[in-house]
Amino acid sequence: MEKLLVVSPLGFEAVKAIGGAPRLDDLDGKTVGEFWNGVFKGDMTFPAIRGLLQKRFPRLMIVPFTEFPHAHGSDHPSKQREHAQRMATLAREKGCDAVISGNGA
Amino acid sequence: MVVTTVGFSTLAKLTGKSGGIADLRIAEYPGPLGVHDAAQIARNVEAALIQQIVDGLTGAGVNAGAATTARRGPRDIVFTGSAEEVSRHFNEKEWSDGLPVIAPTIERVEAFLKFTDRAADEPVAVLPSANLQATPWNVAVNAVMAGCRPEHMPVLVAAVEALGDERCSLNNIGSSSGIFPYVLVNGPVADELGIQRGPQLVSRGPNPAIGRAVGLIIRNIAGFRPGASYMGTFGYPLGITLAEHEDDHSPWPPFHVEAGFDRTASTVTVGVTNNWGSSPAPYDTPDKNVAQTALEILCREILKKTRLFNFPARGPDAEKVMITLLLSPPVAKSLATAGYSKADVKRYIFENARMRLADFDWVLKYTAIMRTTARRQVEAGVLPPEFAGAPDDMVKVLSGPDVLHIVVCGDPHRNRVMVMEGGHTQPTTKPVRLPAGWSERSKA
Repeated sequence: MEKLLVVSPLGFEAVKAIGGAPRLDDLDGKTVGEFWNGVFKGDMTFPAIRGLLQKRFPRLMIVPFTEFPHAHGSDHPSKQREHAQRMATLAREKGCDAVISGNGA
Repeated sequence: MVVTTVGFSTLAKLTGKSGGIADLRIAEYPGPLGVHDAAQIARNVEAALIQQIVDGLTGAGVNAGAATTARRGPRDIVFTGSAEEVSRHFNEKEWSDGLPVIAPTIERVEAFLKFTDRAADEPVAVLPSANLQATPWNVAVNAVMAGCRPEHMPVLVAAVEALGDERCSLNNIGSSSGIFPYVLVNGPVADELGIQRGPQLVSRGPNPAIGRAVGLIIRNIAGFRPGASYMGTFGYPLGITLAEHEDDHSPWPPFHVEAGFDRTASTVTVGVTNNWGSSPAPYDTPDKNVAQTALEILCREILKKTRLFNFPARGPDAEKVMITLLLSPPVAKSLATAGYSKADVKRYIFENARMRLADFDWVLKYTAIMRTTARRQVEAGVLPPEFAGAPDDMVKVLSGPDVLHIVVCGDPHRNRVMVMEGGHTQPTTKPVRLPAGWSERSKA
């Protein structure tokens, strides 16, 4: 039986790995923002998350999703990038050390 | 950090990687969030989500700039075997769509490259969601696999350029609503390649192979993997290829002329479609539980169907009607929890899929072959007396619950339904008779 030597159909790597932001050493006394995409019941999950985090870390400040525009909407990639940059700037202005973004589904 | 629901963490991870972030922190909510009420959500957040969030915000990350995958050369041999073994290997690696592939040998790929003036490694586009580089080489590999001919390369390269254009927004097609691509070819190249534009066009000539190649490119170069980043609840059929009538069969300027091209130009347009069916998602809401929402969605979906005129058909000469309801597991379980059996669901839809008699009359008059009216059908003894009522009467559009058939399938983490209408046939079931020694034979 003929043996066939075949090549890969996959795309080639085109993105340089940049790694994520450094993690916080502790949540106590920090500020965390909530980014909600406006769908998948974030209006129920974020308050539940907020309540549990504040119970566990009493000095943790949380900037609720109502303080940010919804991160869901435009299907256009350049508008999505602009939106992400605007959200990041807003989070810095509000003193956020980290953000929780959701809900993906 | 990112909060996802179960089944979508891989998608989040791949999205992070495609942006260069290999250590995206993900907290996964357990179960289909859409069908959970507020109390269950609060319990799940506390039991399963909150610790993941704390760990994700405070845990150690990987080094910035760390390489995520080893570099691979285009001519590297990734497998050696018979044609059948190659197909099996490619399916196991999820590089294929489940059908056999033509083995992409270097010789076959090179034959395809003769039909483009581009260098084999010339960048054509970086395709989201994986943000991987498409080149004539890997476009050709996928075209070989799909069963294309070498001369299809110019069409496929143009299709990849379209896929990589931001206007195409390819990064959005992973939606659980199940979007898949179609390719529209305009201009003289359609005839030169024998691309079909007439009867049965999507299933004749080179159309299926070109559609399949674009589907494989979306899988292998754009990186949309079913169940990982290509999340259609009920999956995808093969890609569709169309060509447009540009002669006397069409009274209007063709698509590419509308897009600003000269009539004599050859173009490829890539679009997407939800056909083979839209799949709306029933949610639990404060005023309606998910079971009730699902039932109402199913009734409304039935009222949208193009064969609606045929649904109330009765009598020995009536065309057969079959409507198959695909319910994802969370929807089926929500209905069962609310006390509905399959028969109950069918009965509910039969009783409640209704429309105004005046609207139904319009359907009979303008969409049915017989161009009749409800009243005439009542007089002929085909339809029951209620179809001769007042224009605002709400009539049942189904002849009975028995035209409905329920199949529970699809993503167990998504709350979606799909209504597939059909006719002229009825579902017909036969037993599978296994040969003697089936267990041994099937393992061989």
